[in-house]
Amino acid sequence: MPSTQTPPIAGAAIDPPSLRPPIDDAEIERVEPSALKARLEALKAQGYTMLLDLGAVDYPERTPRFDVVYHLLKMPVKPASVAEVGTPKRLRVLCGVSGDDTRLPTAMYIWKVADWAEREIFDLFGIVFEGHADLRRIQMPHDWEGYPLRKDYPVRGPARERSPRPAFALKSNVQAGTPPSGRTLEALQEQIKRAREDGKS
Amino acid sequence: MSMSTTPLTPEIVSQEGNAMVLSMGPQHPSTHGVLQLMLEIEGESVVKADPEIGYLHTGIEKTAENLFWSQAQTVVERMDYLAPSSNAFAYVLAVEKLLGITDRIPVRAQQIRVLQAELTRIASHCVWLGTHGIDLGAISVFFYCFDLRENVLDMQEASGGARMHPNYLRVGGVNGDLPAGYLARLDAFIAKFPGRMRDLRGLLQANPIFQDRTINVGIMSPEEAAQWSLTGPPLRASGVAYDVRRAFPYSGYEQYEFDVPTRTEGDAYARFLVRLDEMEQSLRIIEQVRKQLDIPGPVLIDDTKVVAPPKETIALSMEALIHHFKIVSEGFRVPPGDVYAAVEGPRGELGFYLVSNGENRPYRVRTRPPSLYNLQALKGMAPGNLIADLVVMIGSLDPVFGEVDR
Repeated sequence: MPSTQTPPIAGAAIDPPSLRPPIDDAEIERVEPSALKARLEALKAQGYTMLLDLGAVDYPERTPRFDVVYHLLKMPVKPASVAEVGTPKRLRVLCGVSGDDTRLPTAMYIWKVADWAEREIFDLFGIVFEGHADLRRIQMPHDWEGYPLRKDYPVRGPARERSPRPAFALKSNVQAGTPPSGRTLEALQEQIKRAREDGKS
Repeated sequence: MSMSTTPLTPEIVSQEGNAMVLSMGPQHPSTHGVLQLMLEIEGESVVKADPEIGYLHTGIEKTAENLFWSQAQTVVERMDYLAPSSNAFAYVLAVEKLLGITDRIPVRAQQIRVLQAELTRIASHCVWLGTHGIDLGAISVFFYCFDLRENVLDMQEASGGARMHPNYLRVGGVNGDLPAGYLARLDAFIAKFPGRMRDLRGLLQANPIFQDRTINVGIMSPEEAAQWSLTGPPLRASGVAYDVRRAFPYSGYEQYEFDVPTRTEGDAYARFLVRLDEMEQSLRIIEQVRKQLDIPGPVLIDDTKVVAPPKETIALSMEALIHHFKIVSEGFRVPPGDVYAAVEGPRGELGFYLVSNGENRPYRVRTRPPSLYNLQALKGMAPGNLIADLVVMIGSLDPVFGEVDR
């Protein structure tokens, strides 16, 4: 029975996606990582010609920790008019990935588009797609450490988290209350007073 | 590949016999932003092209997770900076689905949203056409395009308050009704548009140089296009009439009459023609919306849990004051769940996969960026073509790097 509600994970206390009523226009199913490749290949054979998007979500307190989300579209790939395209079917395949074993089979030989999409998930979540021809960072610099879109990664990056203010801001030879220019309030008032007296005379 | 003894210029990465790895960009003027292409070339022809992206990565998805639902809209609007209202449109549709208020959005708000989306489509295609022309040496078309775009930006400024990122759409409607004098401007724009379109077509469509540069360049078959998940004009130029506005209508698109222009050639010239036709279809939609806009009505949902009550009421009602304070200080909460909603942006299917855990901040904001996937198709298009044709291909795919890198 196709469902438009995200199937819950058995035994997981925290699973936000499964909590909403069926509102989506996509059918949704969950697949185990071991069955993922066969399932995707079967779906491609069934006419799901396009992998529209590939994303990931991190739920640190849940088991499995990550969800990798495949958005598929069932549509003929021949030249077709609007009527022939009609309402293509959307399908969402969620695949739970364990936090300890962040490996999934690649889909880039089923849909070429998965190439960059998987690189991005590897880059930002640290999920390794086995069999990917060119799995390296895509958005972040190549020597970057850590996976920014994981929930335990600080927003401003680990380096800035350790030192909340830039180093130069901590070193200061200026006394409290002194403006950065070094001119005190008294000196400024004195200057204004002098200027006024000059104006009168 | 071993290094030869030839002194290497900064651009040449390695060289062996006739084969060479050349780095094009990231400061190349024809790359429309910051795109580096690692090209394996033999003489003038490309053996392999590998785009290197990420130079504009600003972590918008991460930033959005740390803002209120309403604040996140301002950062997602900055992804596709040529069509900000389209991004906001997809985002608010997704949030409204999660909130379960999709059916309660006022009709006038939906009409204004459609109007904004189509105006930004025209403006975005104007930038594409102008820069595409410049890439190919046709300078004058740029001025015609940017003049037309200027009219749209003026209207965006009038309605939303800013030219580039109006942030005019809101979860629950739009921020305030159209200002006085807006419809007169819109009428002037509608009157000016057909003549300007004739100029644009006259400058390029039958131009033999332009045709020589674009016809049979960067051909994509429908099968290839599906493999690379092309959407929008590049997919329709390959013959598949997939348009989110028709396939999954939203915000009342089902009531407007418009065609989905397609071509079957799948080359750069076909993409050019599809986009020009699209601009005319956008105007058709705008004309139909314009007729409905004379009837006044509310533009924001009447639900104080999502939208702050009008400012005037807070002096009169304690509840209004409380709601106002709650919305401003901690935003609104969205029931837990996940959802995918998409619109037809100027570059293709622009979708948001949102996850909420019931808090006042989004748990995850995943964008389906059409520019990223359209640009990736360059890998399939480039081999066998000349370096000079790469410029045409990039232009015909119309990537926006704010969206590619996010």
